[in-house]
Amino acid sequence: MARQQGWFALLLALVISAFLLCIKLPFQLGLDLRGGSQLTLEVQSLQPSTPVTSDQLEAVQTVLDRRVNGLGVSESSLQTIGTNQLVLELPGEQEPSKAARILGKTALLEFRAQKPGTKEAMQRLQRFRNQVKNISLLYEKNKNEKLDLSDKSFQSKQITDLRKALNIKSDSLIDQRQLDEIKKKIDDEIVMLFEPSFLTGSDLISAGRRQEQNLSSWEVTLSFNQDGGDKFAKLTKSIAGSDRLLGIILDGESISEASVGEQFKVAGITGGSATISGNFNADSARELEVQLRGGSLPLPVKIIQVRTIGPTLGAENIRRSLIASLSGLFLVAIFMLVFYRLAGFVAIIALSFYSLFNIAVYALLPVTLTLPGIAGFILSIGMAVDANVLIFERVKDELRRGNTLIRSIETGFSQAFSSIIDGHFTTLISCLSLFYLGTGFVKGFAATLGIGVFISLFTALSCTRVLLKFFMSYKSLRRATNFIPSNQLPSQLI
Amino acid sequence: MEVPQIKSNKINNQNFFSLSRQRYKVWTISGFAILISLIGLISSWLNPSIGLPLRAGLDFTGGTQIRLERKCQKECGLISTISISNALNDISDSNEGIPYQKLDGARIQFLDGYKSLLIRTPTLSAFESKKVIDSVVNIAGPFDEGGQSIETIGPTLGKKLLRTSLISLLVAFLLISTYISIRFDRKYAFLALLALSHDVIIVCGVFAWLGIFQNIEVNSLFAVALLTIAGYSVNDTVVVFDRVREINRSKINLSLKQKIDLAVSATLTRTLYTTGTTLLPLLALIFFGGTTLYWFAIALALGVIVGSWSSIALAPSLLSLSND
Repeated sequence: MARQQGWFALLLALVISAFLLCIKLPFQLGLDLRGGSQLTLEVQSLQPSTPVTSDQLEAVQTVLDRRVNGLGVSESSLQTIGTNQLVLELPGEQEPSKAARILGKTALLEFRAQKPGTKEAMQRLQRFRNQVKNISLLYEKNKNEKLDLSDKSFQSKQITDLRKALNIKSDSLIDQRQLDEIKKKIDDEIVMLFEPSFLTGSDLISAGRRQEQNLSSWEVTLSFNQDGGDKFAKLTKSIAGSDRLLGIILDGESISEASVGEQFKVAGITGGSATISGNFNADSARELEVQLRGGSLPLPVKIIQVRTIGPTLGAENIRRSLIASLSGLFLVAIFMLVFYRLAGFVAIIALSFYSLFNIAVYALLPVTLTLPGIAGFILSIGMAVDANVLIFERVKDELRRGNTLIRSIETGFSQAFSSIIDGHFTTLISCLSLFYLGTGFVKGFAATLGIGVFISLFTALSCTRVLLKFFMSYKSLRRATNFIPSNQLPSQLI
Repeated sequence: MEVPQIKSNKINNQNFFSLSRQRYKVWTISGFAILISLIGLISSWLNPSIGLPLRAGLDFTGGTQIRLERKCQKECGLISTISISNALNDISDSNEGIPYQKLDGARIQFLDGYKSLLIRTPTLSAFESKKVIDSVVNIAGPFDEGGQSIETIGPTLGKKLLRTSLISLLVAFLLISTYISIRFDRKYAFLALLALSHDVIIVCGVFAWLGIFQNIEVNSLFAVALLTIAGYSVNDTVVVFDRVREINRSKINLSLKQKIDLAVSATLTRTLYTTGTTLLPLLALIFFGGTTLYWFAIALALGVIVGSWSSIALAPSLLSLSND
């Protein structure tokens, strides 16, 4: 009997430590339970035939990590999935479009000198660009005032000229998409006017931003490393005082063209710092700063999945799954008590321990709890009960055969063992297959169900046993009728 | 479902429930259920609006699903889905940069008595989704910002999810049957696999019919449900087979049919109770779990019921056939 007490004490210690774990360690709640955005990004290889290497994936992750930190969302996480995917979680963030804009950009920054003899072409294109900008503004204004967009007067002559100049064959009414198309074409042609770059964002040390003196717009400041500073000086020296411009090109789009003054003719702009001013507003300056700080992506990324869940929806999900778990446990408890009496009561205690251990393991591992994950837990309750049912049915069989109670319990446990192992193992195989092949929430479900199956093996074979034996150490409880209706017992035992 | 009843729990060699006498009934019922399921799967496949054995949801087709919760004082007023789709068409007309064909393919649905609005479109960018929300505010708003959810899955990802779901199903089947072949023998493994295919086909069949008549779609969660059903079904079957093996050793003088009958009656209470205790939490999920888990829980509950039928009745009765 003393040995039984020892086991009981051990079990009690386990329960207490599980309880403490649950209180002390924070739970990781998935986005579907607390609201936020999740973006899945796919890293695309430059040639379809060559897969993305793990080094490249890591490089992309490093760059994105820095950009994510720049976003300033607390508790954000970025994880690689498989060979070419990254999952970014932004708890509490309701507007994934902002993150998508910053993350998706390659942010390849280049400084280029204008090709000699292209002054006129440059001026012409800059003029076009201004026209497009004006039309866009006009268009924006018209739209906001809800003017009739099909108004013929809106189709200025400028547009027709622009189309002609840029070889765009279309004469339908102008719209935003066409304006974008024209703008893209102008940008491409401007970039063509510059020489290939030898100074890129990889020579940057840091980037910052500040308001311009007139306070109406922002500028982005850059500082280069030693090598970059030298290159910058050389670049500016080569065009100082000429009619050639210095192009600042981001992702193939010229965001600013600046002239370099005569006074830099001798040494170029030294000191390794530069400023880009290109009509940035506070937001766009910050975006560029974040992108530049993060460095440029070695490979392009594409956003393939976006999920956004509102915070009240998340809270509602928590509430619902709590109700479902608790009522599930409650219904099972009543069932067990009705059909198994004292043994049912033992099963309920074992089941409570089972739930507690599960939760402690979730906190310890840690498992990110999602809605399907909780469903996995609820389902595993059924599996955990199954082990108890198998044992108790065997105990009943033994009692019916006329065995003594203690002996029946012993035999019941040992005979149910093989079924329990087989049953748990097959479920575990499904879980493993789901965990290794599945993605996202499928993994969450597999994880909680798998953990449940493991713990169920432990609780059924040890908790139930220890508890049952502990109860049996009290003589008043040691009656076969506590397990089975008396009419099912062989007469000599009643 | 016909579950044979036993009057007394007393078990002795003369008075056990005889599955072998009922086996033609069992085969008729299962065969009929499978036939109806297959007809469902095929009609769904032939249905031009579905084109697949099951109506594939967002996870497998790719696309964007926007769910909005309306802020209503007491009851939410009726809104026609046509006015919403007109609003969507207006965005594509107003040069907001969303291609027409994306919004033209939108499906609009009200749920929970017009309280929530569901918009399904081909894949939209985060920016485009926001535009869509902004434009329907005028008609169906105001919305509860905390209650909204946007889900976008790229079309290639959808195909990939479908493929991995099928692969994980097959791998699980293979591993489970390998395990049973090792623990028992190949005949048992084959029958357990047969029973589990029976369960999976019937659950799929029910969802094929639901897809045809109720537009219910299957997603990755459904694939998860199938795998869980597979595990559960085999678990149940194994318990019965385990008992057959045990009786096989201890009662050598009985015929195989009698041994199987004895094993089934000895495990019958356990199987029914276990079905009950697994169904109870699932019922809690169905009633309290919310919309996300509703059809998942239904699929699981159905699978549990069919699974216990196949392990009590179908698999053992087929086992008795093997050595006649």
